[in-house]
Amino acid sequence: MTISFRVNGHPHEVDAKRGGDKLIDFLHEDLNLTGTKFCCGIGICRACTVSVKKGRNEAEEPVISCSTALATLDGTSITTVEGVSNGDQDLHPIQTEFLKNFAFQCGYCTPGFVMAAKILLDQLETSKVSKDQLDGMIEEAIGTHICRCTGYVRYFEAVRKTALDVLAAKEGGQG
Amino acid sequence: MSTKLKHFQTAILSRRRFLETASGAVALTVLSPSGMGQAQTADGTVPFTTETPGVATQRIDGLKKVTGQKVFARDHTFKDMKDWKGKPHYAMYLRALTTEKVFKGIDRRYLPPAAKKARIILGNELNASQRSPQIAIRRDLLVDERIEEEAKDQPKTRGFDRPYAVVFDLIVQPGNVPDFLGQAVALLIFDDLAEYREASRAMAFQDDDFQKYGDAAPPKDPVVFNPKTTYVKYDHGGVSFDYANANPYSYPLEADSYKALIADALDARPDLLRHDFACDMRAMDPMFMEPESGLAWHDVENKTLNLVLGTQSPDGDFSDIVSMYRSSDAPFKLDAVVLTTCYPGGGFGGRDGSPFSLMLALASAFTDGNPVQLMYDRYEQFRVGLKRHATDLTGQVAIAPDMKLQNIEMNMRFDGGGRKNLSPYVASLAALCAGGSYKTPMANIYAEAVHSENISGGSQRGFGGPQAFFAIETALDDVAAGQGWDPVALRRANLIGEGDTTVTGGPVQQELRLREMLDRAEAHPMWADREALRDEYAARGLTYGTGLAMSLQAYGTSGDGMVAAITMDETGKLTVKSDAVDMGNGSATTLGVVIGPILGANAVDVEMGDYTLFADTELTTRDKLGTRWDNPDWTSKGVGSSSACLTGLHQVHVVQQTALALLEGSIMPAARILWGMPDLQSSATAWVDGALVLRDGGADPLPQDVLAGAVFENGLPRGTLGHAYFQAIWAEADYDTPGGQIHLALDGLSFYMPGADKPTRVVRQNAFGPAAWTRRFARYVWAPCVNVVGLTVDRGTGAVQVENVLSVLNAGRVHVPALVSGQSQGGVAMAISYALHEDLPPGMAGPANGTWNLDRYHVARAADVPLNTGFRPDARSQELIILDETPADKGAGRGIAEAVMCSVAPAISNALHDAVGVRYSSLPITPEKILKGLRA
Repeated sequence: MTISFRVNGHPHEVDAKRGGDKLIDFLHEDLNLTGTKFCCGIGICRACTVSVKKGRNEAEEPVISCSTALATLDGTSITTVEGVSNGDQDLHPIQTEFLKNFAFQCGYCTPGFVMAAKILLDQLETSKVSKDQLDGMIEEAIGTHICRCTGYVRYFEAVRKTALDVLAAKEGGQG
Repeated sequence: MSTKLKHFQTAILSRRRFLETASGAVALTVLSPSGMGQAQTADGTVPFTTETPGVATQRIDGLKKVTGQKVFARDHTFKDMKDWKGKPHYAMYLRALTTEKVFKGIDRRYLPPAAKKARIILGNELNASQRSPQIAIRRDLLVDERIEEEAKDQPKTRGFDRPYAVVFDLIVQPGNVPDFLGQAVALLIFDDLAEYREASRAMAFQDDDFQKYGDAAPPKDPVVFNPKTTYVKYDHGGVSFDYANANPYSYPLEADSYKALIADALDARPDLLRHDFACDMRAMDPMFMEPESGLAWHDVENKTLNLVLGTQSPDGDFSDIVSMYRSSDAPFKLDAVVLTTCYPGGGFGGRDGSPFSLMLALASAFTDGNPVQLMYDRYEQFRVGLKRHATDLTGQVAIAPDMKLQNIEMNMRFDGGGRKNLSPYVASLAALCAGGSYKTPMANIYAEAVHSENISGGSQRGFGGPQAFFAIETALDDVAAGQGWDPVALRRANLIGEGDTTVTGGPVQQELRLREMLDRAEAHPMWADREALRDEYAARGLTYGTGLAMSLQAYGTSGDGMVAAITMDETGKLTVKSDAVDMGNGSATTLGVVIGPILGANAVDVEMGDYTLFADTELTTRDKLGTRWDNPDWTSKGVGSSSACLTGLHQVHVVQQTALALLEGSIMPAARILWGMPDLQSSATAWVDGALVLRDGGADPLPQDVLAGAVFENGLPRGTLGHAYFQAIWAEADYDTPGGQIHLALDGLSFYMPGADKPTRVVRQNAFGPAAWTRRFARYVWAPCVNVVGLTVDRGTGAVQVENVLSVLNAGRVHVPALVSGQSQGGVAMAISYALHEDLPPGMAGPANGTWNLDRYHVARAADVPLNTGFRPDARSQELIILDETPADKGAGRGIAEAVMCSVAPAISNALHDAVGVRYSSLPITPEKILKGLRA
């Protein structure tokens, strides 16, 4: 028996005996993908957030990799921060905006914010959302992420600006 | 790719120094992980700079961090250490559960199967140098003379952070009583990752099952960590006495008699208002996001210890680790240490002198030459990581009917926890901060840090300021409320300024602008319209209050040495190297851009944490003949630990002066050759679009690559290495250079010549530097801040919500505006968090029991913090007003990383008092305390 899933597009199979292993440990130890950060280990701080797509037609969801067992990931597609850009190249707009707005300081919580914000922005691309719904959606997406350095102000500014850009682009496209 | 490889190899070659030990020299090599510094993008652009020298458009470390590349110690696995050999091992420490009973050992019968396979090392298996390494006296502390005095009174052998007459072992020996909770009682070494994981899971929260304790031990005598701090100031009736100006040797005795004179003076004034106060605060966890983690490999063949660490104090950690293996009984000798320094995932002081580095190095001795990883999880980080001290403060302010302060009395007791660490020096700075932003003719301040069974306290953001400012600022507000005085007017009547003296008697020699800051705060609608705001909230059924508090946080220590190098390649691209570590505060970014206006371009690379630089200066801190600045080899201090507040002034200064040396000593001579103008002065030139031009025209511009070509062709210096020392004033000297003699505010200068790896020293001339005795001023430079907080209180639940924050800050020159406001925003959030939420009980009710994590320790979330910037009455907001720079700043920035945070907590307490009429003086002010206060 094996558990199969994709990480950043690459297929992986692990023995079902490892079903209890946490996703973050698999990412770090098996794949040497250490962009996903371990902080509290109990799913509170959300620094370890990755994106998981359960089926071809399903939306991406934020998943706490420190508290997610491999057994629950069979058949899924996982995206980590390493899969968002091509190294230093082809940054996602939220990564660019985090940089431009000096959104983070030590940067340890940043991959978690990147993943949660990316999922939100993807959602905005595909669903009908008005501007006055935006603040609530941002709060829902990143409001429970913990950052000790920044006081959150610049993260929220960056996500809001990028989200407004998405909405504006959609309006432009419709117009 | 080739750029990165070259960078890496250069680092290996150039960053090397030696530490002399009793058993010979140990070489240190400092490496940067491949992810650090600034990589260029494929098209050769450098994304963090703009065309504008001096301006940063993003963090220099930003690209690596936002894309999840390996920059932190925890990112590094054995797979990343290509040259390491052997089988990976994993270390785990078990932690003491009591300080009242004899530790008897580990009962292996009750260990889970996976742990039974581990090698178990107890304290009695360590030899003396491992058990209690003879560490160096901490180097960057307050008043060095006092430390020297203290050292004279103590045995020459000093164990690891033990107070006098108490020995603290790294691992408790069976038969002994643990010295503090969380002290290691056993080391477990696993050679299999799966077994390590399985054992970790099975053993979590089960310590009682396998740790054996015996008889109750008699209680130990209380121990105070030396040095204690007493500041007695008496300036009354024409008699003047204070710490700074007294004879250091007779001061302790004289201070007692002046305390009596203060009491007499106060008693003689029955018209004085004498207000007693008391406050306290719980310990606080720095809660940096990356739990401490590292890799170590003792390469037996090459007698080399390889380490991967993320620390604020690589220099001190290196020295401490070497001390473990330098005595005659050391299990092995080391010829070299190779330290890979990583960006710390947050610091806030919690990685300054952290015992983690030693615990990792200790583990490496028990893996038979195999590499080992030690990685704390969050429970263990809460259990053993350095804390901000729980503190009790009592005192009295005496104020005349004209609102003038007459005396500040304060007694402060810091719970230092198990290890001494930096606790007494934190207490010492708190004693200075007890004077607040005010002048007082008399003061009687005492601060001590005591040993206890609790988790060790250390150097946390604010370094004693958060405690002391809370005490004085809430006390003044109570006086104002009690007398019906305006709290701003009371403060304004007592503001300290240039020409006044602090509670140490040390002079304020810097423009502070406190009056202007108070004026700005007072005129702001948050304060001016506070009654209208109260009414508006009341109309919505909410209880609103406004509070104001000030802080005058010093930055730097009692004497700071710092070092920097700037090198240029053949194309003119610039690299900055610094001994400082960037904890996320942005110092790497700042240091990369502040050279821009001087050298015409920002750095393309900044290498931080380079502890080898000081050795390359060839300066020494030994001064046997006492000739000080007359000895061209001498400086007062090499380098110290990294603190975010040391960037704005100190690190920027040394980088800019070193850049100036490169301009005058190398680039100008090259320009003179190229232009055929042997008498050209730099004042006749300017940088325009990355090229050097004549201000009055008449010659072709010289682009960077052309200048660099001339530098290399003519054998001119390709780089400069500078050392600076600040202690109220900068050390200065003249230096002979290829461009003629120049005067710099540096006490050491070297040139990197083309083709040479090592720099060549320029012997300084006509040096002038700070006098030794000015150390007794304690601090010299200040980052003042006024905070106004508006908040609402839910009288039903006791919940408090901070609605608005105004911060008025004197930051001097702002080098990178986004970094300064980012520090301010982070400081506001941290202060809200510890003022209202963060609560660490002492003893086994707290994190020492190993069950604490973020599910019960509430760190501020976004919802706890006003997120809008710029005051808006209709939305929760925070506004930062930074005073415009004045000529008196002389282009210098101020270290503001702690400044904003320190006065937020007292402003919250003052706002609560304004809202509900109750003084909350015990932090954190939890909903339970709010409700209790409302009921009282």
